[in-house]
Order: sequence, then structure tokens, then C-alpha cells
Amino acid sequence: MSPLPLQDVRIVDVCQFLAGPYAVQLLASLGAEVIKIESIQRLDNLRLMGGYPQPDGYEWSAAFNTVNVNKYSVTLDLNHPRGKDIFKKLVKASDVVTNNFSSRVMENLSLSYEVLRGVNPQIIMLSMPGYGTTGPWRNYVAMGPNIEMLAGTPMVSGYPNGSPMLNGYIADPFASLAGAVAVMVALKHRQRTGKGQHIDLSHVEAITSFNAQPIMDFVMNGRIQSRRGNRHQSIAPQGVYRCKGEDEWVAIAVSSEEEWANLCDAMGNPSWVREPRFSDPMTRYGNHDPLDKLIEAWTCQKDKHEVMQILQRAGVAAAPVLASSELVSDPHLEQREFIQEVTHPVTGTYKQQGFPVRFSKTPVRIGMPAPTLGQHNEYVFTKLLGMTIEELRQLAEDKVIGTKPLGWPYSEEAGEQDKRLLVGDQGSGVREALEKRKGIEEEENTTK
Amino acid sequence: MQTALNGIKVLELGDRIAGPYCTKILADYGADVIKVETPGLGDPIRSVGPFPDDKPELETSGLFLYLNTNKKSITLNLRSPTGVKIFKDLVKTTDAVIENFNQRLMTCLGLDYEILKDTNPHLVMSSISSFGRTGPYRDYKSTDLTVWALSGILYETGDPDREPLKIGSNETECVAGLYGVLTVLAALYYRDGTGVGQYVDVSAWEAFHTTQPYMILIYSQLGVVKKRVGLKWPWGLLPCRDGHVGFFFGTQANWESLCALLGMPELRDKPGYQSPLERDEHREEITSIIASWLKDRCVEEVFHAAQELRLPLTPAPDMSQIIDMPQHKTRGYFVDIDHPMAGKLTYPGALFKLSETPWRAGRAPLLGEHNKEIYCDRLGYSKRDLVSLREQGVI
Repeated sequence: MSPLPLQDVRIVDVCQFLAGPYAVQLLASLGAEVIKIESIQRLDNLRLMGGYPQPDGYEWSAAFNTVNVNKYSVTLDLNHPRGKDIFKKLVKASDVVTNNFSSRVMENLSLSYEVLRGVNPQIIMLSMPGYGTTGPWRNYVAMGPNIEMLAGTPMVSGYPNGSPMLNGYIADPFASLAGAVAVMVALKHRQRTGKGQHIDLSHVEAITSFNAQPIMDFVMNGRIQSRRGNRHQSIAPQGVYRCKGEDEWVAIAVSSEEEWANLCDAMGNPSWVREPRFSDPMTRYGNHDPLDKLIEAWTCQKDKHEVMQILQRAGVAAAPVLASSELVSDPHLEQREFIQEVTHPVTGTYKQQGFPVRFSKTPVRIGMPAPTLGQHNEYVFTKLLGMTIEELRQLAEDKVIGTKPLGWPYSEEAGEQDKRLLVGDQGSGVREALEKRKGIEEEENTTK
Repeated sequence: MQTALNGIKVLELGDRIAGPYCTKILADYGADVIKVETPGLGDPIRSVGPFPDDKPELETSGLFLYLNTNKKSITLNLRSPTGVKIFKDLVKTTDAVIENFNQRLMTCLGLDYEILKDTNPHLVMSSISSFGRTGPYRDYKSTDLTVWALSGILYETGDPDREPLKIGSNETECVAGLYGVLTVLAALYYRDGTGVGQYVDVSAWEAFHTTQPYMILIYSQLGVVKKRVGLKWPWGLLPCRDGHVGFFFGTQANWESLCALLGMPELRDKPGYQSPLERDEHREEITSIIASWLKDRCVEEVFHAAQELRLPLTPAPDMSQIIDMPQHKTRGYFVDIDHPMAGKLTYPGALFKLSETPWRAGRAPLLGEHNKEIYCDRLGYSKRDLVSLREQGVI
């Protein structure tokens, strides 16, 4: 096996849900050995988002199984004195510890940075709650869509003259990326100086920086930018145009006068391109609406891939709007081997995203699927901490560790009244699919 | 206090946003970044707004000023053989080269990794491009919007009955830039442990796709392609008396707390409102109940009352309101940076805070501001050499 860039780094990860675990997964993919900590008292909530209503349903969440690849999983009840003790031993044997709780959670567990630095003076600790670890809002709650809104994104997003729009799912992964960068910066510093430190990452702050352009416009000119849909701030045409088929689209972006001429050529120079209202950049931008209609009249008779080919040959930026179903068979991604098949011990073999960066000497890949709950208890506690099997047996008896969640509503032992719907919102379609699946299973059970 | 990345030397061949954003983050945390710009014109982003009073000027583009803090600027004509020779002299003593030019240009300039690594065998070089440096589309043209289109995320964003809609400002470029930071530092970390440099190829398309990480597995495992849903219950973004608030009420606990916030406990178990699916069916009624409750209230009042109930409801500020948010004020997120041409302006600040190593609030350089420092002090050219290089159009 070829080496990986962070192969000598060990991370203890108590992050939950999406932003934190995904930040750590990026570092795991770069080679860090990551020990993910959950407990049988409290699962990582992401296991419930898209989990299945069945005895091992907490192993089925596609979201969980994507953002936890390349990690080991152990269970540890951090409220139990033995759990805390073992946690500190792990911290002592590690380089980085990560959490995305609000500040008071780690303090209440008596596992704050001050405490952990006492255990391991060289430790790097990443804390990444939504609002950061200080300030009047530090203990407030925020979900991904809130973060997107607090960064100001929806107010500059939307159809021209329409209401604000958001994506809703994108803020957490943006914060993840900033979190991984933060740890990497601290690791590089530690490599040179031997010194650890505490990282305070606010999702809101990290994502606000993406909106520097409209922020600087306000600072410089007092202007609140209007929503302009898919359009460029000054160059026309740019937009997403309907193509042949149902819900099929192509994105076209002209960036210069030369490209405008190329676009006209590629469309066969219809007479309207020479009309005065499209003749210079300013008037063309001013007549964006009618221009879009004319372009769409051309695109809507063609396949979106064909439009890309025609326009790219002519030197104009154009790309089909791809759905997830099309990404898995895209020839470019296929040649770059971006999407990988991964076999998970419970769910089976499926396709997943790979890592978006190629290293010439230390290629990054999915080496391990997302772990099942407590899958690596024995490996981590005996090999790494030198504990005995007898000790583990005792810990399991005391419910400090384990591999089955307590109170799982779909376990064989659980009563009918416990079987409430556990599925979180995963966007349109997914919930329906899960509902349907549940229906099918119930039907199967009845026929049995 | 020393910065985290003190001593790391970076050369930037940057263009527009992704490359410069990457090196900005490195420079903000202490790396010594030299930005190599075209004589006379500079980075093309210098001519992209916003500008103070909308007057275009090479030194005052707001986007340029933000993306190039803490860097040094030299001018160098890479199309001249002398320019290439000088660049290679700089590469000899640098740790990393980061570029987001197009590949054909890099090859044509003779600045591929394969060539540069002969100059400096320990070099880490990172290319940030839309498609990556391999694959059938590698030479295609691309912009922020077309990367959105390819990522799979555009298809899922916007109203169901309209065209897919990109959001935000320059998200795809910032994401590619951050992957650039992450991976160039990882490669430097590896190099400093082993002595082995390497080439790092960042694809903005793939990078942006990964910001919706489970899309592929959901399709592969469930056969589900997510559709556009717009912005509607259980999400919301609604006006108050003095601004907007936004929310996401995804759980049963949220629903119960919401009824308490509205002072309408009777809603909780009202027929048709009891399960998430039923509430989805009545989303318009529910949204209008919330909207009429909000419209005469203040953002602050609603925000704090909701948070008392652990409800994920927050302000949804515009750019004027963001700068005044108390959380930002207390944490000192926005910083004032002075610049000889643009004056003192407020900028978004640190991406994250490090307890032991400071973030730097330095300004962006003027075009070629550091020519003398780099060419004379670092490479040993005389002032007379500089004059002659300028006359030859090299700098």
C-alpha cells in the first residue's frame, strides 16, 4: 500500500451529525488514523437520518456511511467515570481531538481543552460549534439552513426579482472543509514547533467569508446586491437553459466579447444576434430577459450534452446540469476514478464519492467503509491502550462500551409502542422512499 | 507570537478566485506568499468589482483586496525566456507553487510540474482547475456556474417548476481553494516528514460535488434522485418588522416548541398537524400562521425567545445587517484593514481562530509592490538590473 500524507497522525473524534464528522473524515482520507467515539446510550444522530426501521437500522444511513469512511468506531459512555478515564488515555495517545458540541457540553463533561491539555500538552483540539466557542450566542442552536442564512447567502440568492433562496444542505460541508483546513494548519505548526493548540471554528464565520464579494460591495458602496438568479454580475449572457427532455438543462456562461461571437457562430448566427439590443455588452446585459428566451429556443431542441459539445468546441463555457444518477456514469469522472465502490459490512456494496484531489505520490482512496457501531472496540482498546479482553467484558457489562444501542425502538425486544418514525428530513424523495420501504417491510411481515 | 505557517514559502500563479483564495488563507496564517502577476495588468480579478463608488481601478477591486491579503506582489512576464528563468530561480527556494492557470498555458510556458521538479526536487506543486488535470473534459472552459451544473447540486437547488438555481457568490471557487489549502499543507506535512515532494491536482468540479457528500450513495443505495423543493416548510425565511428570520423545524420536538413559541398549544395536536407528513400537506397554512405572528415582531425578540426553547430559528441578515451582528462584534470577526489606495475598509476576518498562533490582518499588495524586495534582496539583482528588466518588459 502506498503511503498517505497524514499516516502518522491520530485523531480522537467525538463529533456528531454532519459538519464535524465530515471534517474529520477529510483528514482520515488523507491518512490520519481516526477513532470515532459514540456511545450505546447516545448514537451519532446522523445514524438516525435515513436509518431504517429495523433491528440494525442505525447502520443504514447513507449520510452516516458517507461521512465516516476511513474511521474506526469505538463506543464509550463519557458520562461514566471509566469512560472518561479511557477517553483521556486515548487523548494521551493522540495528536488531535475534535468536537462540534456547543461549548458547555465539553465543559459539563469536564473534558474542556484546559483539562485535555493537562493530559497531553501537545494536543490539538478542534471545537466547531455553529457559532464558535465564545460570544453571546455560543450556546444557541443552529441547523445547516440557519448557518446558510446567518452567512447572508439566501439574501443574495434567488430568481431575479424573486424571494430569497437557499440550498439548505450545503453549509455543514462548507464548515467541514474549513474545520479540516484548521486542523491541518495546526498540525503543520506542531510539526515544526512541537506545540499544540485550541482551534475555535464558527460555521457562521467560515461561510460568511464566501460572501466577500457582496460584503465588500456593501462596505464600499452601501449597496445591498439584488438577487440575480444564475446571471453574472456584469457580463451577458449567462444562465441555465432548458434542453430537450423532461427537466433537462444546460448552463452557459459567456465571459468576453470573443466568447459572445463564438456563441453566435455556434448557434448558426441567427439574424437576431445582430440586433442593436444585443450589440454591445451593456445593452446586451440590459436585455438579458429577451436574450435568454432566444437562446433557450435554440437549446431546447437539443440534448444538453450535445449543447456542451457544440459550445465547448466553439470555446464557450457550457455544461449540462447533471443529476446524481448521471454523475455515476459520467465519462470524465469515470476516467478520473472519482466514484468508488465500497463494501459495507452490513449494507453491502454501493457507489460513493471519492476524494476530489489527486496526489502523485500519496494517492488517497476509501480504504475502509464507515464502521458499524463499536466495530473496533477490541482493536482500539486492546491494541492501542493495552487493555485485556476481561476488562472489556466488564466494561460491556457496565454498559460503558457495547455494539448495540440501548433503547433502539426497532430492536427485536422493543415493544410495538416504541416504533415511532425515526427518519429525519433528507430532502424530497428520500423520505418517501423510506416510507415506502417501511410499508413493504410491514407487508412482508404480515404475509409471513 | 509566531504565526502557524511561519517560514513556509509559496509562489502563486493565481487567476481570479480559487487559487488566490487558497493562498490568501495560507498567507493569513503566516505563509510567505509571493503573487506573480502580469506586468501592467496584474491578476484579472483586479478589474472585477466591486470598486469604491463603482470607479474601476487596478488597485481598488474589493474582491482583489479581500482575496490577496498578506501577500507580496511581483510582476513577471512569463512569456519571456528571462521571465521563466527568474521564475525558476524563485522556485529553487520555494516550498510550494500553487497555480490555477489553464493547463495548456502552463505547458506552453514550460512550467509543468515535471519541469519544475528538476529545478527543486522537494517542491510541492498544486494545480487548482475546474476539471482536474486528467480526463476527457480537462481542457474545457468553465466558470462558477458550469461547475455548479456539473456538481449535481444545481439540479437539486431552486424551485421545482423553474430552472435550477445557483446560490451565493463564488462558492465553487472558494471550495476548490479550501481543498487547495488542505491538500497542499498535507503534501508539505508529508514532505517535511519524508523529504518527498509531489504534484497535487485539485478538481473544482469534484470538490464542489463533495459539499453534498451523500448524494451518490443515496442514489446507489436507494435509487433516489433528490428533486428541487425550493424554500418551504419545514424550512422558512420570513419577514419580521425590522428584518428577516429563518428556520428549519425538522423534528417533532421542534414542532412542539414552535407551538409554545407562537402561544398556540392547541395547534400541537390539531388533526392534520400531527405527523411530519401531515404537516407537509398543510405547509402553506402553517407558514402563514408563522408569518402573521412574525410580521409585527422584531428579529432580536423572536430570535432569543426561540432560542430559549432550543428552536433552530435565527436571523437571516442581508449584508448590511451581517456586519452589526452582536456575535460577530463580540468575537471580532470583521476587521478594519487600511490600504494606501482604497483606504480603511471593513473585511471579513479569520476563517477560524487558533489559540497560540495569530491570524494576520494585513492588506493586499499593490501591483509589483515587492519587486525590489524579491528581485534585489532575495535574488540579488541590482537596481540597475531592475531598470533593464523593466525596459525589456520582463517586470
